[in-house]
Amino acid sequence: MKKVLALVLVAMMMLGSVCAVAEDTTYTIGICQLVQHVALDAATQGFRDAITEVLGDKVVFDEKNAFGDSPTCATIVNGFVSANVDLILANATPALQAAASASYDIPILGTSVTEYGVALEIPDFTGVVGYNVSGTSDLAPLDQQAAMIVELFPEAKNVGLLFCSSEPNSAYQVKVVAEELAKVGITTKDFPFSDLNDVAAVTTAACEFSDVIYVPTDNTVASATGIVDGVCRPAGVPIIAGEEGICSGCGVATLSISYYDLGYATGLMALRILVDGEDITKMPIEYAPNFTKKYNEEISAEFGVTIPEDYIAIGAEEEAEAAEEGETAEGTEAAEESEPAAE
Amino acid sequence: MSLTTLLAAMPGAISQGVIWGIMAIGVYITYKVLDFSDLTVDGSICTGAAVCVVLMINGVSLPIAMVAAVAAGMLTGLVTGLFHTFMGIPAILAGILTQLSLYSVNLKIMGKANQAINARNYDLLVSMQKLRNVPFYENTIFIVLLFSAVMIAVLYWFFGTEAGCSLRATGSNLNMSRAQGINTNFNKVLGLMISNGIVALAGALLAQYQGFAEVQMGRGAIVIGLAAVIIGEALFGKIFRNFALRMVSVILGGIVYYIVYQTVILFGLDPDLLKMLSALVVATFLAVPHWKNKWFAKPAKKGGTDHA
Repeated sequence: MKKVLALVLVAMMMLGSVCAVAEDTTYTIGICQLVQHVALDAATQGFRDAITEVLGDKVVFDEKNAFGDSPTCATIVNGFVSANVDLILANATPALQAAASASYDIPILGTSVTEYGVALEIPDFTGVVGYNVSGTSDLAPLDQQAAMIVELFPEAKNVGLLFCSSEPNSAYQVKVVAEELAKVGITTKDFPFSDLNDVAAVTTAACEFSDVIYVPTDNTVASATGIVDGVCRPAGVPIIAGEEGICSGCGVATLSISYYDLGYATGLMALRILVDGEDITKMPIEYAPNFTKKYNEEISAEFGVTIPEDYIAIGAEEEAEAAEEGETAEGTEAAEESEPAAE
Repeated sequence: MSLTTLLAAMPGAISQGVIWGIMAIGVYITYKVLDFSDLTVDGSICTGAAVCVVLMINGVSLPIAMVAAVAAGMLTGLVTGLFHTFMGIPAILAGILTQLSLYSVNLKIMGKANQAINARNYDLLVSMQKLRNVPFYENTIFIVLLFSAVMIAVLYWFFGTEAGCSLRATGSNLNMSRAQGINTNFNKVLGLMISNGIVALAGALLAQYQGFAEVQMGRGAIVIGLAAVIIGEALFGKIFRNFALRMVSVILGGIVYYIVYQTVILFGLDPDLLKMLSALVVATFLAVPHWKNKWFAKPAKKGGTDHA
């Protein structure tokens, strides 16, 4: 039996040595991503592009995905710490938490994390973590998202909030948006679902109640936009989404941060640490560089929503960018095109 | 990635393996001793983690938080047991029902989906931080091994007592046990409580180790637990016949599983294949003893009836 095990191990090592090339480089960066989906993939891509632009082939990325299985993050970062990488990018909250408990000295940058104070359990968080952790937050201005609902659907009275109850970021955003909407006299109701299997049923219930549905930057909805769209469009209930990936699948409009830009900003922070030798313990958490009001041409036309001038059609901007910059935009586009097909 | 990196990663892999091995002993008690396929574990591991973490961030001391976690785990086992014995629900379904409801319970315990427990703010028993550069008695590997040793000793003692023996009898022959006047329903519930208490203990250790508790963390735990039981049996079943040693082999099975897992991850196999590889590892270890029996076992002598 031991022989079988030895054989398995040897086979894996051989495979591994094929995968690992170019050892003698200046920097090694470990990337631990919680799960594969449009937004997180785009953030990782942005991060890599920002660093590759400056360091070229003097950097090796060791990119690992935990496939949504959070204890695997611990296994992954254990590998990074053992390999003594120069920097760890933790993409999403559990990845950041695992990395932060794995190492007290390797610089750790987070991205796609909404609240660092909550994720790292820091009371009275001031914006600077104070130890080997910093990064970027994907918090979109929630008050402006609430205002967007009022702007596009002035007659809306009941707003349903659709999100996955296992995602702390979503629960937080929904709470803030509900408070903002309550200020202008709109009734809100939470429609949490526990996993993909419940999406259709909960969305149907949400459609019964709502004039408009709001969806935060929810990873589960992001991978089930087809289901949500299939329920909401026939029911005639429009969706305002917290994030572009979701909006392109089932939403009318969104106030979006670009996860690619967010990852890019994180990459710039990494460069400041690696190349300029800046002290990560003093670096404050950064936010998305710019927000854009975007709309989904097809769905908004179907609902007959009048879109104000300052909104950009989803897809239009990337085309322009691609024409301008060529290479850099490719990452974003590739990420967006690979929108998970929902059945 | 080099061999040195792999060696450097071993302490982490071994610690994680032992923690999951402790959980696998819980699975062993239901799956092997009690002959009950209990799927509660996917939920109760998170219940243990959630109770421990939430109590600690509210200022409860670590030992009390861990004991409370075990108690909460035992409660989940009690629920599954009552579903099965009192309400007559089939074993697998009873476990699935509890597991499902635990999702909500765990969310309510934590108040959100993910609760951090930062090793910087608390003096945690085990942590990824305490793998290197700490005195050996604080080393995570030492602590988790100590935990499993004490636990195996206690379980070995317990299964030798009258209560323990009747529990084992319930698992090996239900009808005969009942005929001997053993209350089999009571023993099933007791076994489930012990099992899920152990699983919750592993959850409490795991949350400290990785620095957070999360509602999703138990997903697939039963597979890892079964893998550890099966790998341990396949590798050491021939040598380890004693009951205590069998539990040791479960821990070793957990360690082997995580060493393989860590190796797979370190050498950067296509991550898309990771889940399939886990399944293949389990399937391989399950298949080998089967094939051995089928092709290499000595055929039984014919003509036995002559002597009858």
